[in-house]
Amino acid sequence: MAVLYPSNEWCQEWKNAINSSEAAKNAGKDWGTDFNGNWLFEITPEGGLDETTYVYLEAKAGECADARLISDPSEVEVGFTCTGSYEDYKAAVKGEKDFIQGVVRGTFKLKGNMMKIMKYGMFIRAVANSLQSIDSKFLGE
Amino acid sequence: MSKKEKSKQEDVMPTIDDFIRPKEWVSDFVTDMGHAIRDWGEKRYMPVRQHVDEDWAEHKLVEPLLKEVLVDLGINAAFFPAEVGGTDIPDPFPCVTVICEELARIDSGFCVPVVCSVWGLVPILFEPHRNMELLREFGPKFCGPELYMSCHAMTEPQSGADIENFGRLHGKTIQTTATLDGEDWIVNGHKIWPSNSGETADLFVVLCITHKGSTEPNDFALILVPADTEGVSAGNPYQKSGMSADMNSDVWFENVRVPKRYRLHGPGDDLKYWREAITIGNVGSTAMCVGIMKNVYEIIKKWTTERHIAGKPLKEHSLVADMLSEIAIFIESTSAWMWTYVREITRPDIYGWDPWDERFLLKTRGLALYASNSVERACSRAMDFMGSYGYAREFDIEKHWRDQKVIGIWMGGKGLKTLENARYWYDLETL
Repeated sequence: MAVLYPSNEWCQEWKNAINSSEAAKNAGKDWGTDFNGNWLFEITPEGGLDETTYVYLEAKAGECADARLISDPSEVEVGFTCTGSYEDYKAAVKGEKDFIQGVVRGTFKLKGNMMKIMKYGMFIRAVANSLQSIDSKFLGE
Repeated sequence: MSKKEKSKQEDVMPTIDDFIRPKEWVSDFVTDMGHAIRDWGEKRYMPVRQHVDEDWAEHKLVEPLLKEVLVDLGINAAFFPAEVGGTDIPDPFPCVTVICEELARIDSGFCVPVVCSVWGLVPILFEPHRNMELLREFGPKFCGPELYMSCHAMTEPQSGADIENFGRLHGKTIQTTATLDGEDWIVNGHKIWPSNSGETADLFVVLCITHKGSTEPNDFALILVPADTEGVSAGNPYQKSGMSADMNSDVWFENVRVPKRYRLHGPGDDLKYWREAITIGNVGSTAMCVGIMKNVYEIIKKWTTERHIAGKPLKEHSLVADMLSEIAIFIESTSAWMWTYVREITRPDIYGWDPWDERFLLKTRGLALYASNSVERACSRAMDFMGSYGYAREFDIEKHWRDQKVIGIWMGGKGLKTLENARYWYDLETL
């Protein structure tokens, strides 16, 4: 059954998808082990989303320990923050837009240690690819 | 000047990041990636920069640093498709430009082996002309945990880098041959000077001809030869004026047998997409010149600010200010021209030519020529005003001065760059 993006239920599905991904496990085995590898995805309103929404993803050693919506970004300490519109995130979740391409071309604004991003490009791609295994439904559709 | 005023002035004082880089065309990610390379360089390379010249023959210092950049920082994997373990970064040209600029600011001699690690593979690496069969075979090696590098073997003893003058010589000077024998190519020839030769390369991209003396574009061939193939041998590294982190030597191919599928594309397309590699070489060379000039700017700015003559900073003397102005103009003008061409190469839908278009190759020769003349002049003028200090190893101007010279010499030299630029703009018929 399709789950709504973004929602806590959807976050749980994403966590499961990452933890089922061999590619993420292998490419990310050192991710976050000696640095903060947690992510905050800031989704700005557009195309059915009325207010800025935050998805928190706790990633370490190729696995996801926690994924959930948070109301206040100061609740969590993250190493990486990625900001984009709901329309663009929706396209990435659907697999219509390549996440890495979006970051490189500036569709998504990424803050964090770029050396880690470059070093762990395969892990980030694996995490992004895991999105497509989720049966998602979307606001405004 | 009050402390507050001084502090305010320092806040607005331009830095190397204020030279032209159009934000409309270059994403924050690409610029941030450049800063990450810069941070790495400050921490890891700068402490040993003045020792690399002594490491020219063995690369005991250089090789671990190459691994850090190519493997740990993911530069090797950046442009390979995800399917073979790469990051598959889109729009490679702005990324390559920033990588070249930032690494050359640290050490252009170190930048060369890094970018040449995949330079020869451009004909099969980039969309829309990827050769997935070859990328599946070799990509995982480049994207894996061990250092794996390639070498674009072009130049030959008989005619030097004239080999790049395909527009007029049509490959007739190429002496390295590839002959089909059943399902294999037999490669024979002698290459000189390629970056990453010596013991560095794991894989050669060998420019050859399928019929000696032929001027037929279909006979131009690019063939992959793993360095451990029987019949491949390399000479000792050359000792050069500079660029010691780039290892160059003779390479011989004697009855080297490789599978037929190791030809990058085939008749016609090898030449077509090789032109893209040469165009990228021209733009990358320019970015290296910009990187060097930016470091020269940093050094000369600090020197002329801190050194006082006749009661005021050196930079407050009019003759010195003239030199400083000229260096800034070189950086600004070269950057503006370079980024405009990067834009053109990235957006064929707007500008009307593909990255492998011969006309674009000719045009970028002018850019590379201008950049190499500018960096030569910038280094020389900075040294003039630093006097003997500029000539001393301690201040690194002499390093850049030694290193930059070869940028004008390589890829056909200033002669070919001049002729091909004129050929584009004036439709020369005989040159």
